[in-house]
Amino acid sequence: MSLTTGPAAPQAAAVDKSPHGGGKAGRKRRANRSLSKHNLTGWLFSTPFLVLFGVFMLFPIVATLLMSFTDFGARNVTRPLEAEFVGLDNYTRLFQDDKFLKALFNTGYFVVVGVPATIVLGLLAAILLNNGIHRARTLFRVGFYAPVVTTIVAVAVVWRFVLDPSDGLIASLASEVGLTAPDFLGSETWAMPSLIAMAVWRNLGTVMVLCIAGLQAIPTDVREAARLDGAGAWQELRGITIPLLRPTLLYATVITTIGYLNVFEEPFVMTQGGPSDSTLTVSLDMYREGFNFFHMGYASAMAYVLFVVIMGITVLQLRLLKDNTR
Amino acid sequence: MNRATATGSIALTLASALTLTACGGSGGAGVAADAKQTLTVWAMGTEGEKLGDVAEEYEKTHSNLTVKVTPIGWDVAHQKLVAAAAAGKLPDVVQMGGSYLGEFADMGVLEPVDSKTIHETDYFPAAWQQGSYDGKTYGAPWYVDTRVLFYRTDLAKKAGIEKAPATMADLQSAAEAYQKKAGSKWGLSIQPGGLDTVQSFYQFLYSAGGAIIDDDGKAAVNSAAAVKALENYGSYFDKGLSEKSVRPGYDVTKDFNTGAVPMFFGGPWLTNLIDENYPDLKDKWAVAPVPADAASVSMAGGSSLAISADSDHKAAAKELVAYLTGEKGQTDWFERTNDLPANTAAWTSGDLADDPTMQVWRQQMDTARATPSQPKLTEITSKVDTAIESVTQGKSSAKEALDKAQSEIEGLVQ
Repeated sequence: MSLTTGPAAPQAAAVDKSPHGGGKAGRKRRANRSLSKHNLTGWLFSTPFLVLFGVFMLFPIVATLLMSFTDFGARNVTRPLEAEFVGLDNYTRLFQDDKFLKALFNTGYFVVVGVPATIVLGLLAAILLNNGIHRARTLFRVGFYAPVVTTIVAVAVVWRFVLDPSDGLIASLASEVGLTAPDFLGSETWAMPSLIAMAVWRNLGTVMVLCIAGLQAIPTDVREAARLDGAGAWQELRGITIPLLRPTLLYATVITTIGYLNVFEEPFVMTQGGPSDSTLTVSLDMYREGFNFFHMGYASAMAYVLFVVIMGITVLQLRLLKDNTR
Repeated sequence: MNRATATGSIALTLASALTLTACGGSGGAGVAADAKQTLTVWAMGTEGEKLGDVAEEYEKTHSNLTVKVTPIGWDVAHQKLVAAAAAGKLPDVVQMGGSYLGEFADMGVLEPVDSKTIHETDYFPAAWQQGSYDGKTYGAPWYVDTRVLFYRTDLAKKAGIEKAPATMADLQSAAEAYQKKAGSKWGLSIQPGGLDTVQSFYQFLYSAGGAIIDDDGKAAVNSAAAVKALENYGSYFDKGLSEKSVRPGYDVTKDFNTGAVPMFFGGPWLTNLIDENYPDLKDKWAVAPVPADAASVSMAGGSSLAISADSDHKAAAKELVAYLTGEKGQTDWFERTNDLPANTAAWTSGDLADDPTMQVWRQQMDTARATPSQPKLTEITSKVDTAIESVTQGKSSAKEALDKAQSEIEGLVQ
């Protein structure tokens, strides 16, 4: 939701500052006159969205908030109104729950390592495909983007083969050169990096596609000017490409971060949170509490903690990476 | 994205729950057994697929009935049942996995079993116990499941093992012999950690005379017997006899075939699986009762059939359940599925009475133990899973791990 306000906000500001068109006051008057009529049509056109949004988003969001202050459990499934109000109890308990804190740490680990890796590699792939590689460019683009559209279950099966410690691809390659590969998914040290590697590979395509679009929007005359002034490839990248790609990178970073903070599928299908909870993420912990143990109140509180974290980080990113050049 | 999905599902459950209270129960006196009606039945996994054939046969003798069987995958079964219970839309007859029963009985959505048609003495004690919660029986035992020792007889010869290990001490020396003399990579396959590790541990726990919840319904997971059992379990990992890390979805039969794993504890469905997938392995393996410690006690699993408390077709549903759990229905069911009958009368004829392999299962089932039905059973066993994992990974002693589990479980037992 906050994503759309990012790119849209500067535009709106630009419109407001524009001198022509009779100024603010004139527009306001006109808007007022036809407000109700416009609104009616507008509301009618948005009904399908509003109904779906209300039923599948707004109601659940509010219900979850309410539930997070109750001890809603399995018994309350048939008697929902008997759930007791427990105030902030769920929230205080969360921060004394070792498992949740571990999940929070693991999620942090996943984001801190995964997001920069995805962005850097995605950008690299985009630059290479945009400039360096001319033959079979489409093939490469499809190749990098294919993991994004492949279902996670299929991906998990393949990666399990690749990472298998006894007859997996990596283990076999390692034994060819006389090394022993670690048991990637079975070791507490290696399980998380393995999942991160898989997530980076899976999400790199999205970042790449965004960056290619961004790169093609950079005017060639700017680059030409830089080259005439004697800029090398590295200087061009630092001085031209990255600054002009900033809005794209911001957007890519924000969606990747949100996606990674919600990470669920990778540990769910690959490790089930193990070994010894080393890949247990907040979403997975929430799923377990909610659907395996039926602590709906507690799981809802978790959902809200995660929501606040995501909100906070997103706002922070939008602030920090905002385009200050305009 | 995923958070939204989860939130959505949480709220949908609540929404349907609210709808239920608004509409109230469907109530009513119900329809007589011989009236024209449709019975809805939900069954899981293989049972769900095969029950449809039985339903067709049943319809032939009960022309007033249409029996509609809906198969449900085990992976989604729990969520589906919870959502249906919340909405008051449970089918007339539903298959209840052993671990579900306590939870649903506690919600008050199941009808107690009719003691006039279903008698406790007809079934294995452990099977009956799984259908009971809080002094009442809600599920008629349908089929049972237990674990016995599967072992490679050809490799046993090489290792100098003459007969199946009879005691826990024998089991460990057999594992060592397999590894040293027969060249097996591992000695015994037991689960080191993760979800449902407890199912692998039950054989050690119960045989040592321990339990998670004792007969008085109190948490007892740190008893001396349980600590001893977990020390024994952990020693297989310390000595390198069992693999310390096992991937989710690990298929033991593959390693059993190659000989990397010469022994494991498995359920009845594996017999067919091994025969079908590895025909070359025929006559190279056998089953034996769980090696004895204080006694030879295995875990009991399986499913029972319950009738929904809201059902309008209770009379006809009771007749169907009585048929399925009676001797004739049980024998027929065994022929179709190889599920072990819960009704002991079914074991008196045919293969069930004559086949020596079946006698191993029978013998194990007589003493097998079920975990008492508890509404929070999944959560309770997950605490034991964690305790086992910390021992197999060498992070804590058996005593410490079980003391911790005990204190957590005490708060969950009802």
